[in-house]
Amino acid sequence: MKRHEVLVIGAGPAGLSAAIEAAKNGMDVAVFDENARPGGQLFKQIHKFFGSKEHHAKERGFNIGKDLLKEARDLGVKVYLDATVMGIYYDKEILVNHNGEVDHFKGDTIVIATGAAENMVSFKGWDKPGVIGAGAAQALMNLQGVQPGEKILMVGSGNVGLVVSFQLLQAGCQVAAVIDAAPRVGGYGVHASKVARTGVPFYMKHTVVEALGEDKVEGAVIAEVDDHFQPIPGTEKTLDVDTICIAVGLSPMSQLADNAGCEMKFLPKKGGNVPVVNEYNETSMDGIFCCGDVAGIEEASSAMLQGKIAGSTASYKNGYIDEDEWQQSVEKYRASLEQLRTGMFAPQNKGRTDMTETDEGIPLSKSLLAKGYVTDEELAEFPACSTKVSGVHPVIECTQNIPCDPCQDACKFGCIKVGSNISKLPVINPEATCTGCGMCIASCSGQAIFLVNEDYEDGFATVALPYEFLPLPQAGDKGKALDRSGKPVCDAEIVSVKSSKVMDMTNILTMKVPVEYAGTARFYRA
Amino acid sequence: MTKIVRTAATEPFKPMPDDDMIVCRCEEITKGEIRKAVYDGMSTTNEVKRWLRCGMGLCQGQTCQKNVQSIISRELGLKIPDIGQITGRSPVRPVVMEVFANDVLDVHEEA
Amino acid sequence: MRIAQHPILGTYEKGQKVHFTLDGQDMVGYEGESIAAALHAAGVMTHRYTAKQHKPRGIFCAIGRCTDCVMIVDGQPNVRTCITELKEGMNIQTQYGVETKEAWEAKNK
Repeated sequence: MKRHEVLVIGAGPAGLSAAIEAAKNGMDVAVFDENARPGGQLFKQIHKFFGSKEHHAKERGFNIGKDLLKEARDLGVKVYLDATVMGIYYDKEILVNHNGEVDHFKGDTIVIATGAAENMVSFKGWDKPGVIGAGAAQALMNLQGVQPGEKILMVGSGNVGLVVSFQLLQAGCQVAAVIDAAPRVGGYGVHASKVARTGVPFYMKHTVVEALGEDKVEGAVIAEVDDHFQPIPGTEKTLDVDTICIAVGLSPMSQLADNAGCEMKFLPKKGGNVPVVNEYNETSMDGIFCCGDVAGIEEASSAMLQGKIAGSTASYKNGYIDEDEWQQSVEKYRASLEQLRTGMFAPQNKGRTDMTETDEGIPLSKSLLAKGYVTDEELAEFPACSTKVSGVHPVIECTQNIPCDPCQDACKFGCIKVGSNISKLPVINPEATCTGCGMCIASCSGQAIFLVNEDYEDGFATVALPYEFLPLPQAGDKGKALDRSGKPVCDAEIVSVKSSKVMDMTNILTMKVPVEYAGTARFYRA
Repeated sequence: MTKIVRTAATEPFKPMPDDDMIVCRCEEITKGEIRKAVYDGMSTTNEVKRWLRCGMGLCQGQTCQKNVQSIISRELGLKIPDIGQITGRSPVRPVVMEVFANDVLDVHEEA
Repeated sequence: MRIAQHPILGTYEKGQKVHFTLDGQDMVGYEGESIAAALHAAGVMTHRYTAKQHKPRGIFCAIGRCTDCVMIVDGQPNVRTCITELKEGMNIQTQYGVETKEAWEAKNK
């Protein structure tokens, strides 16, 4: 039997954050993870995170993972890998399958941060090789460096489906379509738009009915669904794909909490069967905490804050910090967490389909929800999207209230303002002068900011856009400009390509297009 | 939890076209088998699990539980909380018996 | 197919090239990558055939949870290839039920 004051189960963002917080306050902490590599799903996340600076916004997930790990190790947290916690027993004893043995550990506090498992849909042939989960696609391409397939159908338009679709494109795969049985795109509009503008079609109200092929996927049959999610006969379409990727949500992996005796509740808004936790992430069992996805599906940024709250509370309850210190830190983390839980996609709004306008009273784009991109007419309603400005200026195609504000810090000249409620839409300050530096483009995790200059030269405008693909075009290259739907609309010439360390792998392409396309050209294809 | 009224089915079991679709991948349990289990009187997720082994395979229901639940709930016209969850119990992950044999029992040795 | 150069990740850190066999056939991969990744890069999709319906299965979750990608590795069945690192000289066999093809065929003649 080994003893540590705090036993943390799961070395993902929630678990590591809880461990760091407790260790900072002087506690002896051990973290257990069943995987060979710590970090949970963070190392698969190669996109820039949302939120504010304090939430690691505009940092890429895998870099956040590296930082958390280093911090935990520097603080003396013991990390046991390939260590599967099999059960939680009386008096905070846990059983760990480690090195081919059953090992016993005992603690004063247990933090369950086991994360989530992927939901699946069953359809004819879904057990064939070539049907994979979205997490599998990420593991293959982002960890192992192997393409999951050549042509992929993405099933699910939530953030995972959208983010992974984009990552598949970055890995050089083709995405044949993104489909969803729901009538509306489920994830952030900006994530959908960056996929749509490369030419990937979105089919809402569609489901996959069959995976074709003998021993592996050689095609997919999709069909439109009725209001009861049943396929409508006669609407079938066959797509030429070799991989079907499923991203239909996550379920909390809460079996250990159930096993420990924590009070459980089935809450669809939290993703399924979850332990009931209070505002300090304590379960009904004294000294057992649950944080992160296991307590309800949310983003990694929220998981980290929940972990900190749990770590701080454990430190207080065990006498490592006094009440004032505890209350102050929890207040700070909670305020930060509340910021993330604002906007259209906040946990309390999960499943809502009745929202028709933004907090600012601007009608939400229907096209965005149905096809993944905003139409010109809809965009005209958003003040930050105006192209009727002389000289170079930002166009911010951010049309939903999501908690994110790196753009306002990125502009050193004060052109962009979001304010203290980070879910507000960014506005452009007409008094400030844009220098065309492009920092806002690179800072936008949603890749929704463009710099447009309609006075570039007679009859021509430039559009600067974020670009995270290979091969990287060079100045002087000629190709086509694509509109928001991915349709080629005009010829384009690359006038400059900017890459720098502070932009963190987001390159800025500036392309020259006929001036009448300044408001529509949003992507470049060689 | 809603009280479940158990009455013997009077109608014959109605097959559906997708009854041969696999739902539990590990134990290769089909949708038809799950529907038949419900028809035969199983009315909770745990009962169906014990009857058919869906959720008792190597993945321990991580993949299929929600899909099994949706079939049971549709057949019975009940909500998910009414048919319950698979009980979470140790070991929550499959473990080879050799590992159990290698239990580190230092704490009990003095006794 | 392997990704030579990635726009965000650059090049992937790979170990030494190693040789292994799949059902007796010589294969190559890199030390430290998962067996499943090495097989996927070589275009191998089927890891096993199921016990009841004898259907092919391959990678599904790739994080060690679903156990669909299990194979016989150095004589041991039910090894999750997606989370098991490839090593020089590994003998990997397609799994039939929980056995080798030979054992399975002998039983199901």
